[in-house]
Amino acid sequence: MKCTVIIDGEREQEVVIYAHERTELINKIEALASEEQPELVGFSDREAVIIAVDEVFCFATEDNRVFALCENERLRLKERLYKIEEDLPADFVRINQSCIANIKKIRRFDASISGTLRVVFKNGHIDYVSRRQLKQVKERLGL
Amino acid sequence: MNKYFKEFMHRGLMFGGFGPIILAVIYYILSKTVSGFALSGGEILVGTISVYLLAFVQAGASVFNQIEGWSLPKSLLCHFSTLFVSYSLCYIFNSWIPFEPMVLVLFALIFAAVYFIIWFTVYLIVKSTGKKLNARL
Repeated sequence: MKCTVIIDGEREQEVVIYAHERTELINKIEALASEEQPELVGFSDREAVIIAVDEVFCFATEDNRVFALCENERLRLKERLYKIEEDLPADFVRINQSCIANIKKIRRFDASISGTLRVVFKNGHIDYVSRRQLKQVKERLGL
Repeated sequence: MNKYFKEFMHRGLMFGGFGPIILAVIYYILSKTVSGFALSGGEILVGTISVYLLAFVQAGASVFNQIEGWSLPKSLLCHFSTLFVSYSLCYIFNSWIPFEPMVLVLFALIFAAVYFIIWFTVYLIVKSTGKKLNARL
């Protein structure tokens, strides 16, 4: 099977396989690629939960505590926000001092009446792009 | 403590200091351009404190527009009212405008017009940025 590796720090990490049929080799590659998906441990009121990073809508701080906001739940994390940011894939971008957003989970941007850019996530959560981070958000989206 | 109140205080304390700096620059320009321009120590003190409070309120009030539970008219009205009251008090207290009905009405009209022109311009710019970003999602 032909194999091509492209090293590009800007793009999302992805393994794409073109094959005539599913084989044991493909299963093994698939299993290996899945293991690469970064995970974090989040805490709800009663239990510890393993979170796949790509399921997180955004990481946000509130009262000096860091939370991962998922589809229907908000899980507290022990890591600091800047530490989490270091290991996140390219789909994540810091939108303000206290929030790192998953671009794939953003429904839309719109103008808030305060003159800042509002971010509406697909789970209904709303946050803001700070003026300081606007340039980085634009660059990440190719503007 | 309410997170919006904390944010109000945080922004106010962060940007409040810009008020006296701007006032000092204005005083400097006036001293260089207006012959016989002079202020007493008391006037400078009152001006500095009131402009610090003005900048504090102006910076803090921006949080009104980010309270998710508030509708657009409510946020806008609260933001406008807070700024209008603080600016009016500051101007009257420093005798920058005379305390006369006609002057106050004129001040209110000019303030409202400038406020809405600035707000609308910024809103259009941000809306356009949002539209461009949405096309890339």
